Amino acid sequence: MKFIEFLKDEFNSYSRKSQIALYVLFAIVALFGIFAIQVLFWGLGYTDMNNNFAWGVWIIGDLGLVALGGGAFFTGFFLYIFRVDKLEPIINSTVLLGWMCYLFTLVLLLFDVGQPLRAWFGFAYPNWGPHLMPISMLTEVFWCLSLYFCILCVELVPIVLKQRLLDRYPVVHAIGHYMHKLMWTMAAAGTFLSFFHQGSLGGGMWGVLYAKAQWFRPHFFFLAVVAATAGGTSFMMLIPWIAGKIMKKEVVPKETFYTLAKISGVMFIFYTSFRIYDIYSMAVKYVPAVDRSFMDLWGGLYGIWMLALELILCFVPITMYLVKKFREQEKTLVTGFIAGVSAILVSKMNVLLHGFSVPNFPWRGFTTYNPTIQEWFVFLGCIAIMTLIYMWFVKYTPLFPHLHHSEHASEGHE
Amino acid sequence: MTTMKRLWGMSIDLDKCTGCGACQISCMQENNMPIFEDDSDIPKRVTFMDLMRVTNDYQGDKKYGEVQIAYVPKMCQQCSGNNPDPNKAVPPCVSVCPAVATDVSDDGVVSQIWSRCIGCRYCQAACPYEARVFNWWKPKYETDFKNSLNPDVSVASRGTVVKCTFCSHIWKRERDKMIAQGITDINQVQYTPACVSACPTGAMKFGDLRDPNSPVYEQKLKNDPRAVRLLHKIDNADPAEQQRRMKIKNYPNPKVYYLTSKQWLRDILSGFQNS
Amino acid sequence: MKKIERRDFLKMAGGAVCGGLVGTTFSGAPFLGFQWLVEWSQDQYVPTRGEEKFANSVCHLCGSNITVRKIGQRAVKVETANSGCPLCQAMLQLLYHPERIQQPLKRVGSKGSGKFKPVTWEEAVKDVSDAITKLRSENKAQMIAAVNGAHNTVPNLLMERLVMAAGSKHVYTEPCFCNLSKSAVAATQNAEGTIDYDLENADYVISFGARLFEGWGNSARMNKVLLEWKKKNVKFVQVDTLCTRTASMADSWVPVKPGTESYLALGIAHQLIMNHGKSSNLSELSRWSGINEFSPDKVSAITGVPAEKIAEIAKEFVKYRKAVAVAGRGGQCVSSSVAEIAAVQALNALIAHLGKDGNAFIKACPSIPAGVQYDDIAKAGHNNTRVAKGLDDFIKNGEKVELLFLNESNPVFNSVYGADFVNKMKDMPMVVAFGTLINDSAKYADYIFPTLTIMEVPTAQGNAVAAPRYTSKHGGDIILDIARKTEKVKDAFPWTGVRDVAAIVRDGQTRGVGNFSISTDLLKKHFTELKKAMEESAQEYPLVMIPFEIPFVGDGRSLAFPYVLKGLGHETYSAERLYVQMNPETAREQGVSDGSNIYISSKRGEIGKVKVLLTKTVAPGVIAMPMGFGHAALTKYGSEKGVNPREIMNNAIDAESGTADWWYTRVKLS
Repeated sequence: MKFIEFLKDEFNSYSRKSQIALYVLFAIVALFGIFAIQVLFWGLGYTDMNNNFAWGVWIIGDLGLVALGGGAFFTGFFLYIFRVDKLEPIINSTVLLGWMCYLFTLVLLLFDVGQPLRAWFGFAYPNWGPHLMPISMLTEVFWCLSLYFCILCVELVPIVLKQRLLDRYPVVHAIGHYMHKLMWTMAAAGTFLSFFHQGSLGGGMWGVLYAKAQWFRPHFFFLAVVAATAGGTSFMMLIPWIAGKIMKKEVVPKETFYTLAKISGVMFIFYTSFRIYDIYSMAVKYVPAVDRSFMDLWGGLYGIWMLALELILCFVPITMYLVKKFREQEKTLVTGFIAGVSAILVSKMNVLLHGFSVPNFPWRGFTTYNPTIQEWFVFLGCIAIMTLIYMWFVKYTPLFPHLHHSEHASEGHE
Repeated sequence: MTTMKRLWGMSIDLDKCTGCGACQISCMQENNMPIFEDDSDIPKRVTFMDLMRVTNDYQGDKKYGEVQIAYVPKMCQQCSGNNPDPNKAVPPCVSVCPAVATDVSDDGVVSQIWSRCIGCRYCQAACPYEARVFNWWKPKYETDFKNSLNPDVSVASRGTVVKCTFCSHIWKRERDKMIAQGITDINQVQYTPACVSACPTGAMKFGDLRDPNSPVYEQKLKNDPRAVRLLHKIDNADPAEQQRRMKIKNYPNPKVYYLTSKQWLRDILSGFQNS
Repeated sequence: MKKIERRDFLKMAGGAVCGGLVGTTFSGAPFLGFQWLVEWSQDQYVPTRGEEKFANSVCHLCGSNITVRKIGQRAVKVETANSGCPLCQAMLQLLYHPERIQQPLKRVGSKGSGKFKPVTWEEAVKDVSDAITKLRSENKAQMIAAVNGAHNTVPNLLMERLVMAAGSKHVYTEPCFCNLSKSAVAATQNAEGTIDYDLENADYVISFGARLFEGWGNSARMNKVLLEWKKKNVKFVQVDTLCTRTASMADSWVPVKPGTESYLALGIAHQLIMNHGKSSNLSELSRWSGINEFSPDKVSAITGVPAEKIAEIAKEFVKYRKAVAVAGRGGQCVSSSVAEIAAVQALNALIAHLGKDGNAFIKACPSIPAGVQYDDIAKAGHNNTRVAKGLDDFIKNGEKVELLFLNESNPVFNSVYGADFVNKMKDMPMVVAFGTLINDSAKYADYIFPTLTIMEVPTAQGNAVAAPRYTSKHGGDIILDIARKTEKVKDAFPWTGVRDVAAIVRDGQTRGVGNFSISTDLLKKHFTELKKAMEESAQEYPLVMIPFEIPFVGDGRSLAFPYVLKGLGHETYSAERLYVQMNPETAREQGVSDGSNIYISSKRGEIGKVKVLLTKTVAPGVIAMPMGFGHAALTKYGSEKGVNPREIMNNAIDAESGTADWWYTRVKLS
């Protein structure tokens, strides 16, 4: 009973608007639960994926989350290795976002495999080749993803330990403190691992499919790493900004945003040039090598426009992040955030969803894919749970140290 | 211990194929295909063999009267990548499997272990021939239908990828029979997959690609002007160009040859026209 | 003893827990647990093992010997090659069909409700034989009728014998090429038998709509013919409105306007007479003034075949030594009028090849040699029977019957008068169906007797592949049982079992009979009717529906087999919808596009919903309609899938054969 009272009080402590948002989120999570059971117990027949369209919205979720979550390793890399201390105020949020992105990538992957109970086969019977090099990109994904998730868990521990109730114990406080000191090792290991699986899950997995004109590019691995650094950093800025907007407080100092935006902008230059080279190499080298024509792969104007949209979206963050005037105006900067994140998501859709719709035989047409309600709610449910976790962390942990500093400065306590 | 000399392959003479579908039914019966009350959701259907109807009008440039149709039986093409040596072969699907559920046997057949598969479907994405199918639903065999299940092929679980293996379980069966007779040389054993043995016009032929006496001797097929491999235009290039291109990347290099005297059919089978 | 400090205790406990976890993990127990969970939660069936054996059988449809692989008592694979017969390959699915009738069934609900109760064989057989005895005692023997399936099987012969011995001549066979050509032979050669083309030995073949390699005739034989032709480089010309696989396999496909095959045949005949000096071979046709109506220009205008092409075909037809013209439009389902078959046969007569190597022969039907002594009641019944010309004629115009046998037949589905037949059956006191599965017709029966599949029938050499499932019996044995229980009738059946009968059945002899003559009246009538069908309500029904078949679906019985359904491509049956084929030009005119849902109606009614597949294999103005779909009842696998076009097809009955010529139907999209 006490517990229910506690929950009631907890719920009532939110503003009316937040309560509505919570209702919506809980509803989505409830539907997620129902559809998750349906899919897990009765099979993937309930999805609109099929033998030709082997993956759908969940893989976009996986790739999107990993690429965007990749911002965590990159930000950590800059903070702990390059000692860009201006990034300190955003790092907790970054670590949390990274952790959640990876957690839900794993969750979505678990939904996506037909035999989740056999998922451990990836560790028990890995497709290693000679010299312990993984032959299957997916084997690499399995190992790197799970190891990096462990690292993110370790990185997250100090933030959790700083929770007020826990922080009272000196032991916990000490552990948290020393772990924080050692975080650069984790950042280094994370960067190492993340580099590989960003490349493999984001790009290498498709780049190695040599029999598919729409995918085969040996450099695709590296493109995905760059994509993660560029898009991930944008995502790491977008979320705290939204949080700040909702809380109507400055959660992260402007300078932090500016610093990260500059980094992200530079990465977007790299990424955009790389992607343009990628498309060029596809058109002149790799697609003709598979005896197809580049333009035919796009299924007419729709596909071409999606490609154009992706490139346009890439140029937006470059302009907004790197031109001082735009960077220092909130509206334009946020346009950059959104465009940057969208550029990566659209790119994943162009590569993957579009890639699956490309016909394999000359006498076949392009295929379509409409996610079913099960697919939508499993996907949205993951996003909703992520939102709830983020909300909890914002409320109960020093996710934004800057906020506490300023609060301490102005109000003293609470 | 004898070394494996066999490299199994198939040829399908499309001029003799009436499109009757005997190969499909034979395959389904041999390989325990699931039985659903309604199986008309074709993209999710579990069957190893696809009988594709193709016309010479796929680009919409023919008129009524000029149109021709043909049926193309298509199963796993047992790719090997650039190097046909089974020990060095890299079929598009084998290298991508995260759990080694699929592999190339020393006879060149791309095998698949149903019970090892975790159902990630990466191999489906990798396959250019749409030859791999996934059990989207739990395979069902209503009551009495269970009687006709073949014990040599295990019934797959829901959520696993299955594929044609050139009925290699029949080969094993034949091998076991020979061993029982005291013949241990594996190279003396011949076999015929279910689809080939059911073909009423003998359009499908099966045998050893390396054996000059087999109906599918590879050197002969490669020089046959009627032969074409599915989506494999590189076959038309001259050897120097082939070498150059194979340095860039792997090519599927399938072990199934299609034979036809119809130029349009060869064109359409060999791949896309606008390259 | 040293007291354990709390701190140490915690350390030890922690260590133990950690060690235990690591140990458990590395012991593999959790993974075994997962594996167990996989097996338990998915409960996958494991086929039982057993000794491998091989057994033989003979297909009653194609006559092929088939070998069956057995594991223990289970038949697991038909190991036959060179058959290509739809039934052989799918036979195991009939043998082990979960909806096989297990015991004689007696109707309990209203007719057609599909409610039956199992009864004993004794009871069922007695009821049926009592019904025969009763009708005979009331001098209503002619009110017994039987509809046989379209194949020459021993039960068919026994059924005919039973009905005849009881005193009725109402024995009909479902429409097939045998029937039609039998009527044609009767009309043109005054002989009894069916047309048998010697395709193996021909060197030039022109087929008028006969889709030779898509189910036409005996598939096992036709596949061998194909190989023979390839070997000998036989020239093959296919005349057809649709580009079927047969047309594409031909050396030359002659597209004709729908339904005009007989015009083309006479056009060629005109050429043979006028230009190639063949007039003496068939004088009544040469002297017929109407033949001038078939000059190349006129025929070209009607058929759409260029005049030069007609001349070329005629030239080739004369040139080749063993040319043959083949009639019988369709695959497993054939629909041609007797006049059309005769017109095509006239071409063979004109070049004087009839009965010669590589041309057409007459094949007598199989028969049971032992004669029957009919008693007075039977003789009276025979005199009172007003025999219909064919099944459709019987359904439409035939007299009332009180006892009907459906012997492995399905007229409700296979006849264009299916709905009328349902009504007819509803009025009959007793309908007895023989079969393995309940089909569209058996659903209306009062008694259903479960029969055997070929897998359960012993061959002449040895045992059956499988023991009879449930209590099923051979159709012939059931008929013998019924006959033996019926006074007087039993005298005509002196055999102990069907094997005795099978041993003495005389196969039809093939012979060449000359004396071909074609009645010009027959032709006149045919072309008048054809013209009427083409022109009548052409405004209201601008399109023509022409049937085609998917091999292995054929006439539709295979729809009960899930593996046949699984083999259907997306151009035939996909996402629970049947696809009809249409030329893009037609679609544009009709305002539909690829994948549109349409309803099709003729003056007889409407069918739908079907989807449109655009393909140029179909002539403009034509809807190509797959046959065999749309069963009202054929197990849960075959029922209610697609539509049965026979419901709206042309139902004009050909006077000679008593069978509706449904090939050409004027329709519209509604």
